[in-house]
This record gives sequence, structure tokens and C-alpha cells, in this order.
Amino acid sequence: MVPEKKQIPIGTGLFVWPSDEARLIATRCKSCGDTFFPRTFMCRNPECKEKAIEEVTLSRKGKLLSYTILHFPPPPPFIVSGAYEPRAVAEVEMPEGLRLIAPMTQFDFKDIKIGMTMEIVLDSLYRDKEGNEIIGWKFRPL
Amino acid sequence: MRPVAIIGVGLHPWGKFPQKPWTQMAVEAAKMAFQDGGVEWKDMQALFFGSQMWGGRPGIFGGNSFTEVMGETGLPVVNVNNACATGGSVIREAFISVAAGAYDMVLACAADKSPEGFFPSLPVYYEEPTPSVDTIRWKMGLPNPVFWALELRKRMIRYGVTDVHLAKVKVAMSKWGALNPFARYKKVFTLEEVLNSPMVADPLRLYEICATSDGAGAAVICSLEKARQYTTKPILIAGAGLGTGLYGDPTTRLPSIAVTPKPNVPLISESFMAAKAAYEQAGIGPEDIDFLELPDNSSWHFLQYIETLGFAKEGESHRLLDENATEPGGRFPVCPSGGFSSFGEATVAQGFMQVAEIVWQLRGEAGPRQIKGVRVGMAEVYGAAGNNAALILKK
Repeated sequence: MVPEKKQIPIGTGLFVWPSDEARLIATRCKSCGDTFFPRTFMCRNPECKEKAIEEVTLSRKGKLLSYTILHFPPPPPFIVSGAYEPRAVAEVEMPEGLRLIAPMTQFDFKDIKIGMTMEIVLDSLYRDKEGNEIIGWKFRPL
Repeated sequence: MRPVAIIGVGLHPWGKFPQKPWTQMAVEAAKMAFQDGGVEWKDMQALFFGSQMWGGRPGIFGGNSFTEVMGETGLPVVNVNNACATGGSVIREAFISVAAGAYDMVLACAADKSPEGFFPSLPVYYEEPTPSVDTIRWKMGLPNPVFWALELRKRMIRYGVTDVHLAKVKVAMSKWGALNPFARYKKVFTLEEVLNSPMVADPLRLYEICATSDGAGAAVICSLEKARQYTTKPILIAGAGLGTGLYGDPTTRLPSIAVTPKPNVPLISESFMAAKAAYEQAGIGPEDIDFLELPDNSSWHFLQYIETLGFAKEGESHRLLDENATEPGGRFPVCPSGGFSSFGEATVAQGFMQVAEIVWQLRGEAGPRQIKGVRVGMAEVYGAAGNNAALILKK
């Protein structure tokens, strides 16, 4: 019997799963207002005394600040299936005052423009040795 | 704190040496340093050693592996790991122990065999409730040059840095490296060759990112009083700074997948802090430094460090390349060793390559690379996870 191929998130506590929408789980400090991703058990601001934290989910849209195109395959544990295609990685400014770094998806290289609006989506990063899809978040230009 | 000097330096050439144990490379570097200083292994009262991650347990406890082959004398061994800033950090720990009067003479040493290609992830033997940022970035497929390229593109847009500037870094470095017998790459590159090399992490090309190498280095460090018994050319450690990041640093630090930037926090703040500490300890500023060994992991690092260390205003470092100031014969020599560009990264050992070069330059022993009239040199090493070490040496 062939085992069923599964979708596996790259880690627990990073985004709401299962879900069709990309809702990244972050920590907001109610005292100083700063937001951290991935979630943390303590506010990281050294000036903050209260450190009263809450769990929040991040907004899903931001602005493209920078990007790179990786022309060589990344090392393990990332697995390249078939011929390697160049992958774009984006740095995106989020409304919460954070900048996120993640791969890009569903775009044409010629359409990338600094300042464009990007949406966070859940997508397959790679397939593991058993053929399961490893799921993470990516940026899709709007 | 009493004055402290370096009386002996040694290097194993950088390259790939699959047939040679890394401990043997370390021993050869140490023997060269002993000979240079006119001392012996049994004169060493303590050993400060670069702990390296790639060789498993023997590499992590590298100082112990080293003493096993050198001959065990029971001396205290401190294994230091501050990522790629380890070399400078090892030397700083050795310096502090002698400056404090705990020892009169110690050995600082490191050796490394860095994996080829993109650095890989390291094994983790337990699962955390939320995986570490480092685990996440590997699963996302983000090797180190991705982070440098993201930062570099912002610089290019803001300040008008071009592809030609990035390539000129390699050209300038290769002119120095061609003159250094310890360098791995001795070919002088043309602008066209660099611009025609394959794109790796756009806008960084293959020859604009340092290779990875095997290498080893050592330095004999002692009190200035003791040094005078051995040499007429002691090289003083005038400042030794160690830095970590500031909260709110806007840099896409390696490894990070999210940054919470704050106003007025400098880029690569760990490096800014290390340099600030070294300048304060030495009681001098960038205007007093004659030449610089910086961590040129990529062309982005070259441009950023010149500014972070105070040798150019923000957004102006590329102008030094326009006037060929950093290459042999230029008005501000940068990496007369040839830099990581000519050596390749041997992660924990590279700080020693920089210090050996500065010592030779200050003694007037740098051969065809010799810069005339130099009195003060600075070495900076950058490490992942917000590590940096800065050393200021003078004669």
C-alpha cells in the first residue's frame, strides 16, 4: 500500500494550521507595542519593563523593500525536485513595524518592483523524501 | 590593565587540504608562531582556541584536540566560538587574560575546514515548541548570501552603487591576493571576468562572494614587559572590542526571517559596537588608522564595513573604488592580505589571517605587499547571529 502524501507545516506555532488563509502567529507586547515573529515567550525590547505579551496574528499585506534571486539550489534540509529554477526571496515591510523575509511565489521576474504590495500566502516549500509537501509562507505580488 | 603585545604569528596557507588533519594545520601555524617569537610550546601558560562547528565534537573542543597532538602540559584551555568572528574573539580573550595579569604568555590559535558551497545547517537533536529561526530559514531555502543580497539591493537603490562597483571590489582584492603566498587564489581578475561570473544571489555574482577554505593561524601573546625579552619589534594590541547586536537593528541579520527595526539604530550594529569599543580602548579614531583588514565575505560587506567603521560617510564607500584608493598603491589600503576574497572563508581561523597581515605590515615584513610608513592597523571579523570582533594593533 502506498502511504498517503501529506501536507506538513515547517514547524508548529508559526502559522494557523490547517487553514486556507496565511495567518502568521506573532507576539505583541501590550506594554511597548512592539511585535515579534516568530512568537516569543518574552518581549525582546530591553527598554520595556512590563513585558506583558499577547499572541496575535499578523496582517497579510505589506510593501516590497528588497529582493534577491537565488540562482543556485539551497543546501539541505531544503530539497530540490527535478531541475533547479531560480527562486526569488523578498524582504517585506509589514504594517506592524516588522520586516519579513520569505520566498516569493506566483510572479514574473520582470514584474518585480520595489514598493509593490505583497500578500502572504501558504504554499509548498519543497517535498520531503517521502513525497510529503512541506508547507510554509511565501509572498505573492498583488 | 597592562600593555600587551604580539611577538609571534603563524599561518597555514589557505586552500583545500583533504589529506591533512585540521589539527596538523593548527600545529604548523603554531610552530611558525613559536619560531617567529623565539618561544616554545612549553612556554605557553594558557591556550585560547577557536572552537569550530564543522568537525563535530573534536572541532567544538578544538583546543583539547590541539593539546593532544602538541603534547599535553595540563595548561588551561579556553574554547571560544563566536561564529565567523571567532578568530578576533580568541585573540581578544587571550589579550584580556594577559592584560589582567593572569598569565604572562599565552597562545591564541584556530583552524578550520569550512564546507564547500553554501554553508549547510547543523544538526539539532531535540525539537522546540517553535523551531528556531535558523531551522526555519534552512527549510525556506535561504543560504547566507540571500541575506547579504537583500541588504545590498537597498544600498544600490539608495546610494547609486552599481554592478561595476561590486566587481571592482574583487579586482582590487585580487591585486593584493596575488602578492600573498598564504592566499588560496593568486590570480589578478579583470572587471569583465568578474562581471561575467555566474549570478548567485542577484545582485551578487560568484566572484563577489568569498569561497570557503581550510586554514589555520596562531599568535603568541604576552605582556609588553615580557615581549621585550624576545623582540625589538613587539606589536601592541591597542584595542580589542567585541560586539553583539542592538535591539532594533534594521539589518536582515544572518540568520533572520523577521526584523523589528527602530529609528537611529545602525546597520550591522554588532560591528558598530565592536569598533566603538576598540576605538575607545585604543583612544584613537578611524582618522588614525593607516590600513584596514575587513571581513569581505561579499562585496556588500566591503562597502558596508568601510562606512560602519567610520572610514567613509554613509552611502559613500563606493567612491573609494572609483578612485582605486583601496588597492596596492592607493591612498587607503583595504585588506592588503588579499582578504577573504583571495583566501576564502575558514570561519574560525580567518581573524588570524588578518592579524598576521597587520603584524607583518607593522614590522615592515610584508614583502611585495608592504605599505610604506604604516603605524596602526585595524582588523574586523563578522560572524553570524550578531557577532563581531575588532582589533587595533600598533607598533
